[in-house]
Amino acid sequence: MDLVVAGHPTPAAPGPVAVASAGARRRDRPAVADRDHRAVRGDLEQVFRRHYGTVVAVAARVLGGRSEAEDVAQEVFLSFGRSAVPAAEAGGWLSVAAAHTALNHLRSSRRRSDREAAVATGAPADVPDVADDVVTREGHAHVRAALAALPRTQAVALVLRHSGLSYADVAEALDLSPGSVGTTLRRAEAALRKELHP
Amino acid sequence: MNRHPSPGLLRRLVDEPAGVTDADRAHVAGCTGCLTEVAAAADDARAVRLALATPADAVDADAAWDRLSAALPDPLPAGRTAAARPSLRRGRAHRAGGVRRPLTAAVAFAAVLSVAGVAAANDWLPVFRTEQVAPVAFDSADLVALPDLSAYGTVEVTGDGDLHQAADPAAAAEETGLDVPAVAELPGGVVGEPTVQVGGQVSAVFTFSADLAAEAGAAAPPAGLDGSRVRLVAGPGVAQVWTSASGVPALVVATAVAPSADSSGAPFTTLRDYLLSLPGLPDDLAAQLRTFTADGTTLPLPVPTDLADSSPAEVDGTPATVLESRDRSMAAVVWVQDGVVTAVAGSLGADEVLAVARGLR
Repeated sequence: MDLVVAGHPTPAAPGPVAVASAGARRRDRPAVADRDHRAVRGDLEQVFRRHYGTVVAVAARVLGGRSEAEDVAQEVFLSFGRSAVPAAEAGGWLSVAAAHTALNHLRSSRRRSDREAAVATGAPADVPDVADDVVTREGHAHVRAALAALPRTQAVALVLRHSGLSYADVAEALDLSPGSVGTTLRRAEAALRKELHP
Repeated sequence: MNRHPSPGLLRRLVDEPAGVTDADRAHVAGCTGCLTEVAAAADDARAVRLALATPADAVDADAAWDRLSAALPDPLPAGRTAAARPSLRRGRAHRAGGVRRPLTAAVAFAAVLSVAGVAAANDWLPVFRTEQVAPVAFDSADLVALPDLSAYGTVEVTGDGDLHQAADPAAAAEETGLDVPAVAELPGGVVGEPTVQVGGQVSAVFTFSADLAAEAGAAAPPAGLDGSRVRLVAGPGVAQVWTSASGVPALVVATAVAPSADSSGAPFTTLRDYLLSLPGLPDDLAAQLRTFTADGTTLPLPVPTDLADSSPAEVDGTPATVLESRDRSMAAVVWVQDGVVTAVAGSLGADEVLAVARGLR
């Protein structure tokens, strides 16, 4: 699987995090609003065609649906197109950026959903819920809610590992020691499992 | 080792056992508490994997690229013009529509899920991961006598390796995730750029059958072995090939994820002893194999003694095996480091392949 990028350092965590934050701010604006005058890297189409399916799959694992995952992929590739990330590191960089951006979407959707619920009922917005446009499979709504509630490092490690990245790649992407990836993963899975079978 | 491995390490044992030391694995194999924790971790991992799974719908990359292109600032990426793109896109979209097979994708997804489920069910125990290679001498005439495993069970191969050419080492590295080594200095007589071949991962699952073994004249498998399975995984790999004017490979630098094996519960020694008892394996070869694979980390490298010599060497502090043809026309050096096997071979002398190997970067 070409997600495995052992031996090729992915960017340090701050890169994708910055991408993800920018992505969240742009969420409700049309993609065309992202036009700017910075140069677009020449290998964008090649990288896009090689990794698009992977980026969508990572985002879909977070969001549970394909449609919004494709929105996330657009944001991620727009950011990548303006970046100077070496082509050899593109796979890892894109996967990390997809996970962060999708988690941002998940959380912003939850906040919006909570606000809307509070307005509708007059009740405080403290009831866990997930926006309808995020969850396409009703039975997994609580899993997405639990995923959004996990510490960010745990959530990203979980998504990347279940998307096929090796422990070494996850460690590099998140600036963790390889030994602590298993611990992070174990905690995240135990927390999610409780939500599956409380 | 008496100290219990950390929960994180036990989690890694579930799906990346090659990252766990032998000492830790040995401890876990004999520790009820750790085995219980591994089973719990595997159970949680499987449940989460299923919960996070998404349908394996084919993505429409052409439509997505169109959408992205519309959001990109001009100028367009090098080599493409606004006038040229629409016709290009129509062509691709037409082809994409013709080849999308949702049913195929769904079946493939189900297959992947079932394999993942099996792997996470904790009924596969790592029995072998390559940490070093060691030559095993045999006569080339023995080749015809080596046991054909298909006579003793069923063999199911997944993946055909998908051998294909990559544009360059960087593309191969990106595709496989391997560090593709660069040759610092080519030996005399070897010139030019290499062609780069990439092969994917291949795995095979062998299921023992007591009935088939009996038909083949072998001793019945020990209790518990009948129906148990061994899974072998190798690759992906990358080979850089420099060809001489005559068309013969002058130099090959190959690197691949080293083979590993795991089994559905049968201990390594049980598997080894049964395999080595199969008819057709010469006694002296079986004796050598029994020695070399005692710790389950050594990949036996069969060397036909009538055609080649082997000798030990070192590449950057890692033990390596040098093979040299009897007529001294070809040589190779093979070693394993961090789960990756690397070989340098060619129509060269042993000192030349070693010089190339030690100069890789």
